[in-house]
Amino acid sequence: MPESKFYPSLDLQETLHPNRVVSLWRLMRGFRLLYIAAIVGVGMAAVSKTLTYLLLRYLVDQVLGRQQFDFSFYLIGLAFIGLAAFEGSFTFLSGRWAARAAEGITLRLRNYLFDHLQRLPVSYHDRSQTGELIQRCTSDVDALRRFFSEQALGVGRIFLLIGINLLALFSLNVKLALLIMAFMPLAIALSLFFFKKIEVAYQSHQEQEGVLSTTLQENLSGVRVVKAFARQQFEMDKFEKESWEQYRRGRRLVLMHSFYWPMNEFLCLFQMLLITCVGSLMVIDGTLTLGTYMAFIGLSIWIIFPMQGIGRLIVQMSTGIVSYQRVADIIKAEQETLESNQSLPDTPLVVEREQKELRGFKNMSGQNGDELYRNRTISKPIRLSSDLYPTKLRYETELRNARTNQQNLTNIRGELRFEQVSFEYEGAEAVLHDISFSVKPGEMVALLGPTGSGKSSLVNLLPRFYDYTSGQIWLDGQPLNSYPLRQLRQQIGIVEQEPFLFSRTIRENIGYGVDHAVSDIEIEGVAKAAAIHEVILSFPNGYATLIGEKGVTLSGGQKQRLAIARTLLKSPKILIFDDAVSAVDTETERLIQLALEKLRRGRTTFIIAHRIQTIRQADKILVLDKGRIVQQGNHVELIEQEGIYRQIYHLQAQIEEESRE
Amino acid sequence: MDNNFFEEEEFVTQFNGQVIGRILQQARPYWKHVTVFLLLISTVAIFDAFFTYLGKLIIDEAIVPRDKVRLMQLITLYGSMLLIQAGSVFGFVFLAGSLGQRLEYDLRRKMFNHLQSLSLSYFDRTPIGWIMSRVTSDSARIAELVTWGLINIVWAILNLTTAMTFMFIINWRLASIIMVVLPVLVTIAIYFKKKILVQFRLVRKLNSKLTGVFNENITGVRVVKALTREEQNLKEFDHLATNLYQAGYRAAWLSALFLPMVQLVGAMALGTVIWYAGGQIQVGGMTVGGLQAFVSYLTIMLFPIQDLARAYADMQSSVASAERVFSLIDAQPEIFDRPEAIDPDTIHGEIEFNHVDFYYDKETPVLTDFNLKIKSGEMIALVGPTGGGKSTIVNLICRFQEPRHGVIRFDNVDYTNLTLHAIQSRIGMVLQTPHLFSGTIRENIRYGRLEATNEEVEAAAKLVHADEFISQMEKGYDEPVGENGSLISTGQKQLLSLARAVLANPRIMIMDEATSSVDTLTESLIQQGLEATLLGRTSFVVAHRLSTIKKAHRILVIEDGRIVEMGSHAQLIRAKGFYYSLYTKQFSHDLELKMKQI
Repeated sequence: MPESKFYPSLDLQETLHPNRVVSLWRLMRGFRLLYIAAIVGVGMAAVSKTLTYLLLRYLVDQVLGRQQFDFSFYLIGLAFIGLAAFEGSFTFLSGRWAARAAEGITLRLRNYLFDHLQRLPVSYHDRSQTGELIQRCTSDVDALRRFFSEQALGVGRIFLLIGINLLALFSLNVKLALLIMAFMPLAIALSLFFFKKIEVAYQSHQEQEGVLSTTLQENLSGVRVVKAFARQQFEMDKFEKESWEQYRRGRRLVLMHSFYWPMNEFLCLFQMLLITCVGSLMVIDGTLTLGTYMAFIGLSIWIIFPMQGIGRLIVQMSTGIVSYQRVADIIKAEQETLESNQSLPDTPLVVEREQKELRGFKNMSGQNGDELYRNRTISKPIRLSSDLYPTKLRYETELRNARTNQQNLTNIRGELRFEQVSFEYEGAEAVLHDISFSVKPGEMVALLGPTGSGKSSLVNLLPRFYDYTSGQIWLDGQPLNSYPLRQLRQQIGIVEQEPFLFSRTIRENIGYGVDHAVSDIEIEGVAKAAAIHEVILSFPNGYATLIGEKGVTLSGGQKQRLAIARTLLKSPKILIFDDAVSAVDTETERLIQLALEKLRRGRTTFIIAHRIQTIRQADKILVLDKGRIVQQGNHVELIEQEGIYRQIYHLQAQIEEESRE
Repeated sequence: MDNNFFEEEEFVTQFNGQVIGRILQQARPYWKHVTVFLLLISTVAIFDAFFTYLGKLIIDEAIVPRDKVRLMQLITLYGSMLLIQAGSVFGFVFLAGSLGQRLEYDLRRKMFNHLQSLSLSYFDRTPIGWIMSRVTSDSARIAELVTWGLINIVWAILNLTTAMTFMFIINWRLASIIMVVLPVLVTIAIYFKKKILVQFRLVRKLNSKLTGVFNENITGVRVVKALTREEQNLKEFDHLATNLYQAGYRAAWLSALFLPMVQLVGAMALGTVIWYAGGQIQVGGMTVGGLQAFVSYLTIMLFPIQDLARAYADMQSSVASAERVFSLIDAQPEIFDRPEAIDPDTIHGEIEFNHVDFYYDKETPVLTDFNLKIKSGEMIALVGPTGGGKSTIVNLICRFQEPRHGVIRFDNVDYTNLTLHAIQSRIGMVLQTPHLFSGTIRENIRYGRLEATNEEVEAAAKLVHADEFISQMEKGYDEPVGENGSLISTGQKQLLSLARAVLANPRIMIMDEATSSVDTLTESLIQQGLEATLLGRTSFVVAHRLSTIKKAHRILVIEDGRIVEMGSHAQLIRAKGFYYSLYTKQFSHDLELKMKQI
């Protein structure tokens, strides 16, 4: 959990509870006193308001009746101002306290979520939609912030206002007070009823808004296609249709509002009318003083008004709670264990694997709190107290192994041995079967095979983006999964086919993989080695050029060379290179090849290759088909064999031969 | 996803009468609606103030003299006003709300349709996100100004003036005191609202930055993991989140200060009133009902003042929104149909570049004095380094751009004399990064020719060998491809966009790295199918794979905006020039290999 001086730290996984109210209460830890103070402040403000009207009553009934002028008017005038100041201060203070609590809770939540997401296993991200995750971390978190800063406090304020004022009303006149009470259920029911409906209409309006913006976004990003096919009219009709639907839903929302508002207005005014009528008759009959009547009218406004808001607040609160549930769904997913001090391997044990399977796939998406709670209780002891399980001994051995590894990790040699490794994505068919081969340090392994044959899955096992389901991978003679993830990954460099770069400067992108400060000389050194230095200098801001929307757009080849530079700087022992399928021009390709040559020197290299000239140099070629190694050997050996390799080789050679005629 | 991943621009706009006038013009077709809801809201505002006065009358004329008949009269008046009030509220909410929705719809349609006519260069210059937020949120803000903005202003002003009038009727001396306080109140309110607004803008800006960071970290999670950047990233995120915390906290407590400040000034006025009124009542200058009315007016006055401040603040951001929306609507397409442009029945596909110059900006020429004549049915391959001008040629042919100097002729006609539709409806285009629309596979292929039958769609898919993967899909041709085609691979997208172009049956076919992400086996299959379709059509191929290029009738090597070599594959190889070296380099390894084997 990230530390901060603005909040006490808290493991948010500990706050999960099947009862959402309990969860929210736990989430508030460290801010509870402040929040309670805010609510008390709101109460104090309500009391001041009530006192103002009681003071008015006193003024009318007691002071105005006196025949001679006295100083009480000054005093009462001052008291009015004093009460207003009192009320104002408490309103302000409670708002401020609630804001501090809400913002603090939110900051802690945001930091936690950010960190949590980058520590969730890759398989979790595979299953999740980016947009959905972002929405949960931004708008849902914001909804939760509003829940604390506005809604929960607002509801507290309303109940306190109504409660305190009612108390005052009852002390003034029971009959009239009952008259007001009689309307309360109706007003609240009406408010709730409409706001439920309004909420539904609003959601459907928002949904359509999403559809509309997708339509727009696709039109804009596909502008060339639209123009190339001269489909402007078609697009306009499509947008018009969605836009009209949006308008229709908007009207429905408006209609709801336009029924609710006057009805509410009518109810309020009618209630006032009734009180005025009954009250004034009582004054005329002498059963009520004029001052009491006036105080009554004033106080009842502060009951009727707040009641109008209650429906809106309660409905908003319920959406706030839904938002919380969506956020909690993310929180409850289990992180990978990265830290060196927690060198317990992620999934080395049968026990934990079983638990993991038990938790299973569906656990990630929404389900009820019960299940969530059960899962928490199951998974908890595994991490912390291994003595609950008979495998304790094995655990300790693993632990010891891991510790020794940790010390040796900085100088791993990069010797790898796959021993009957199989792998399947959760709940899916196996993608790798019975993979066995071994690699000496510094060797180059080429992986060849049609799309979907398991090449990427195989290399993804090395940084343990996924854990193999059976068999064993040995790195320098130790099981791969006994290495702490962080150290393991520090030893592995990956250059993807379409590398992901961050919208930062080029310099920051190259230095992204190392946590220590890097000198300009080092940065330029690796950029030169990756044959990208000249390109960078040709940009107006050189190494300070921003990449992405606000900066330059790089070509595929440039991105890949930048990724090579990034990896060079990281200087890993094991290298994974996914050769780009898409043809870059020959010059660029030559540059990439050169850069790769430099990069793979002295490192164990895995390369997913598409061209014979790359593969040819490999010490070992693995031909994969449907998740199995069907051929294995070096180029010369494989050329001799009957099989896929020879077919592909001949096909490519034939094309090239033809081209030379 | 509706979130804006781009920073909000800072807009400190002064009130611009012209812009406001133009905003109001949007509502002109609906002036009847506007008049009616303004009348209704006026009724509501006046009645709202009148109810308080009625309370005074009840005390002074019915309760104090103990006159039950008068009481019943006043109550009846109260009741009938109440009904009118409820009716008016319904009317204005419904009318203004519907009008708001309608205006939003109108504006969006206007913008979208206008966007379709803008030239490609506009989209190269303007980030998609910028356009998106113009069409979505800015249009909503303008609609809101014309409806709720107007309502707030009219209600607040009328309510205040009516209340003031009644106060003057009750006691002009006291009313004068309040008249003095009122501007102070409004000024304080507006001052605060402005401060709060600035703070909230900062919060919004930081919020969209935060969204961007989340987006990047989630999309790039593999890289983050592979490079073990977690701790550093968290540190950076914490910094940003803490800034947001501080801005949010400040915005919140400033808002919390707003009401008490206004209330306090109001209370001071109230104190004065009581001190003064007390004396007046005793000397008979003011009634108890009058006192009650003053107290009520002063408590309720808060609402119109708040509304005024809000309307003022909203108006500022609406004007800024409007400026951006109008700048979009006012953008002129750089390429448009000349008035005399025609759409001929047939275009054979003969293309000529005659002394064509082209610049992206004023200084750097991309093409200079470019000449080229292409016969109908010819297949042209364009090769050369990135940035040499290949895609510019393609863009010029599609008339996404027009030459700066010189002429491009289609069938011997200057193509600026043809309509854009005439040209573009006859071109089929397949790009390296294919773009698909959400919808099914079938819908996406049919985009090429909307009236094509299912059989024709499937035939096109078979021709480019897309049928193989489509038939393996669960729902076959009715399988959805996801937003921007995110549910299928790049290679598959390329095949679909190829099928789409084939279905369009164009006279001119342009393929820019069209099959670069398709594996070697499939590609050679596609080649055979394509050869048949391309027969008789003029076609342009930008590619790096030799197998594709060497089938071309003519290969053009483009470098620095000029044709440096031209001829068939065999000719160019014989010439031993640029083309030769380009490709011998690529295959030198294999040559070596072959020689060893021999």
